[in-house]
Amino acid sequence: MALIRTLEVRDVDLDAPEPKRRRRHGLLPFSPWHLLLMPLALIFALPLVQMVLTSFMTDAEINSFPPKFIPSSLNVAGYTGFFGDSLAPRWLLNTVIVATISVASHLVLCSLAGYGYARLKFRGRNFGFFAIVATIMIPTQLLMIPTYVMFSKLGVVDTLAAAFIPWLTSAFGIFLMRQFFLALPRELEEAGEIDGLTTFGVFRRIVLPLAKPALATLAVFTLLNSWNDLIWPLTAISNQDNFTIQVGLTTFQGTRRTQWAELMAGNVVATMPLIIGFLMAQKHFIATMTFSGLKG
Amino acid sequence: MTIALERPPEATAFLVDPKLRAKQKRARRRREDVVGWSFVGVSTLVVIGLSIFPAGWAFFISQKKWNLLSPAKDVGWKNYQTMINDPEVWDAVKHTLFFTALFVPLSIFMGMLIAVALNQRIKFVGFYRTAIFVPFVASAAATGILAGFVFEPNYGSANDLLRRLGLPSQPWLESPTQAMIVIVIIALWGQVGFCVVVYLAALQDIPQDIVEAALIDGANRRQVFRYVTIPELAPVTVFTAVWQTITALQLFDLVYTTTRGGPVNSTVTLVYYVYKVAFQESRFGYGAAVSYGLFALTMVVTLFMVWYSRRTKIEAF
Amino acid sequence: MRIPRLLVGVAIVSLALAACSSSTSSPVATGSTAAPASSAAAEPVTLTLWHGQTADAAKAMEDLAAEYHRSHPLVTIKVSPGASTTDELKQKIAAGFVAGNYPDVSYTYGSWAGELAQSGHVLDVTSWTTEPAVGWDGLPAAARATATVDGKVIGMPAIVGNLAVIYNKSVFDAAGVAYPADDWTWDDFRSTAKKLTNPDKKIFGTAYSVAGNEDTTWHLWPLLWQNGGQILSADGHAAAFNSPAGVKALELLRAMAVDDKSMYLDQTGEKYGPLFLDGRIGMQISGPWNLYDLQQRKTSYGVVQLPGTGGDHQTVSGTDLWTLFDHNDPARSRAAFDFVTWLSQPAQDARWNIALGNLPLREAEKTSPAFAQFTRDYPGGPAFVDNFTNAKNPRPTVSGYDEMSQHLGSEIAKVLQGQGTAQDALDRAAAASADALSG
Repeated sequence: MALIRTLEVRDVDLDAPEPKRRRRHGLLPFSPWHLLLMPLALIFALPLVQMVLTSFMTDAEINSFPPKFIPSSLNVAGYTGFFGDSLAPRWLLNTVIVATISVASHLVLCSLAGYGYARLKFRGRNFGFFAIVATIMIPTQLLMIPTYVMFSKLGVVDTLAAAFIPWLTSAFGIFLMRQFFLALPRELEEAGEIDGLTTFGVFRRIVLPLAKPALATLAVFTLLNSWNDLIWPLTAISNQDNFTIQVGLTTFQGTRRTQWAELMAGNVVATMPLIIGFLMAQKHFIATMTFSGLKG
Repeated sequence: MTIALERPPEATAFLVDPKLRAKQKRARRRREDVVGWSFVGVSTLVVIGLSIFPAGWAFFISQKKWNLLSPAKDVGWKNYQTMINDPEVWDAVKHTLFFTALFVPLSIFMGMLIAVALNQRIKFVGFYRTAIFVPFVASAAATGILAGFVFEPNYGSANDLLRRLGLPSQPWLESPTQAMIVIVIIALWGQVGFCVVVYLAALQDIPQDIVEAALIDGANRRQVFRYVTIPELAPVTVFTAVWQTITALQLFDLVYTTTRGGPVNSTVTLVYYVYKVAFQESRFGYGAAVSYGLFALTMVVTLFMVWYSRRTKIEAF
Repeated sequence: MRIPRLLVGVAIVSLALAACSSSTSSPVATGSTAAPASSAAAEPVTLTLWHGQTADAAKAMEDLAAEYHRSHPLVTIKVSPGASTTDELKQKIAAGFVAGNYPDVSYTYGSWAGELAQSGHVLDVTSWTTEPAVGWDGLPAAARATATVDGKVIGMPAIVGNLAVIYNKSVFDAAGVAYPADDWTWDDFRSTAKKLTNPDKKIFGTAYSVAGNEDTTWHLWPLLWQNGGQILSADGHAAAFNSPAGVKALELLRAMAVDDKSMYLDQTGEKYGPLFLDGRIGMQISGPWNLYDLQQRKTSYGVVQLPGTGGDHQTVSGTDLWTLFDHNDPARSRAAFDFVTWLSQPAQDARWNIALGNLPLREAEKTSPAFAQFTRDYPGGPAFVDNFTNAKNPRPTVSGYDEMSQHLGSEIAKVLQGQGTAQDALDRAAAASADALSG
């Protein structure tokens, strides 16, 4: 199954108008695709716009009925409350640390393991790979209590390490990288071997530079998942100094009282870095996603 | 071969002495093992340590009656028997399969359709792409809160819109027959971005020469799509379908943040039922047993899909 | 194939370790043996406290702990929420027991008391509560009952409350309906709710949580008791709520929800509070924890005791506890007890409970200046304090209560949403709970 078709990473300029093709729109003065995309884009974007607008409302406005879409004034109490009354800056920093370690470790460990399972021959290979793939199907709820106890014995419960250890590597990442490496033509690696490179040398000097598209994809998915992870850090971390931002946000949503303005502001703050990062990276991200041939 | 070339003396030696040859073969295998495991060792150990080891432990828990507080009591296979006879488990299976059966085809269909649309050279495509991808980065918690605002039956914006259009308002998440469908819609909102990304990349991977050859042969655009594009996308589709199916069978976050399994348990999925049984009713043994049931179900469905795709000669795995 | 067997071996060892560590302590440890009766610890001790609170309440608890350290320099209290919400604390404590890292003191719901007591990790402070300085008898009887499991006191009441009817005066005025009187009946409640309901304006007479948890379940208890029913059988090992009294109680709620449609059914239990504040719900059966928001939003409201059955207006009280946990260290045990006792004294309670809109813990505080201020800030407060005389039956503290509550909660939710009859639902819940209650 080929994850890439060609070796050259094409830097596709997605926004460039296509030179050749002439367009016939028929009855419409614009492409009929707009009829599909415009409403879809609005439906997809509006709830997030609503989240941003709501974050500038007072609690009373947020809960007013019928719902208000535009805040009556630019009320920043949610933001000042979010940053003022909580450890939000600390939580953001914690999340950045967790996400950075997760992404870095994912890139190293998954590419190594992916290459090993794709190319190298050694005893226990099939068993190891099967075990990894099988874990994809294990529901995480099954693992929470045993993992908690295990982490506690290791002394990492309540520390930031508890949040990033599960993200050091992942079955999905290993699987993704393996599929990518399987698709690479072997000739370059064989050439490297003839040149006297060790297996690791081949991996480091020849394979990895070709793997940038897959690594970029892996980085984006890992960033999203580790940043938004909630259920596990919620279980593993009790000390609020070590909360991640998602755990911290739940403290605004009490059983008997929800601080809506702070909660909405906090969600905007927690989501914005991802959205901004995505907007900046998206051209590159999608261009590099041309790994997906998935062909035999 | 290359090794033999690098070391001519040994090469001649093993031609002579079969014992030495066997020994050397062993040495090479050992070296391969060391190299191989030095690549995969850490990752494999971490995955096994964090999944298979706790899962094995959970299997022991599944043979107990244990609320974590009082000492555990051995019950053998009783939890599994209870599971088979528990109507709530079968309801949860039904809800989970219902969600999967709606979500997986729809997300693939929409993903493909939107990707084809975004692959056109038209105006605003940058805006469209951003708008459609951005929900993918929103956390489940944020998605749940937003869904609460949009689908609140009395005061939410979805019904506000229906009223303005002169349509009857709907109970959405508060109707046992509609709630799961609404959750499918919310899940699509958040997850279609994934399918679009995958298909968009796959579309750009289809060699232009095949398409042009078909066009020269007199095929129209629709025929090109049917006979060139779709077959080219088949392996991606199999991969995406399997991946989305595994994700769908493990649906939890959205249920937790929107309906908590209600109304009238109509959105209790298997994983949500595990959560409810284990963490709300403190029946950890039974929760572990149901988790194993879900694991078996996922395995069966996934293996069937892989088998089916192999039978139809689509090589995605 | 060798690897799994190895893993299995490790798993067994770990499980055995976990089992050992929990079996070393006796079912309920007695902390009173070695510790000195005086409150001053001889050596420095560090306590961990989980409060499960957010915002203002969390801040207040941190201040109090710091202040206690200043006056008792040998005692350091590490305060943390423990979990992001109080509901999640139970799971955190349970996992902590298995892993061996639970706190000295934790905020807990009263409904967990039975299960916690069974764990073998809670202190028995019964003998200490007899010390006059503790003022145990000055606490409300229902609260003391919640803190006592099988005759053993496992902690100190932290917050007390009870259910009454809070009504939004603006909704009543707009509908031209008279405010409820103290001597009203459930028929009055039903007809009032019907009059207040206005489908066009999306206004409901009252609301009920159908989240299917304890919040759903305990609202049924006052009705059950007023009709002469009981929650459990006399020995506490079987459900008794599926009696004619239980059916009558649930049938009334069903009629309001299904026939009258005067009851807003809240799927998550988190929406009816805000809706009430916004004048979309006329009456809510709820507790004093709403007072703070009502004051913040300047809602015009009143509080009246629950409707009665034959003059019986009894209600259910809720008590949250500071549960004390055993770490086989008498000095720590005593220090933890001393701290929560200190918290319960009027001077501290004024800042922990009264300032945050909760009811005063002790009757004696009713004469304090802090209470006078409380009455001014929260005009509904005194009605809740008076309502304690209507709290006659305690909620059970048996260990299967919490599971039973989940079963009954989801059955009540079904009936209120028009599925099945009250009798069938209660029977099903009773049958489902049999295993948990049998002990």
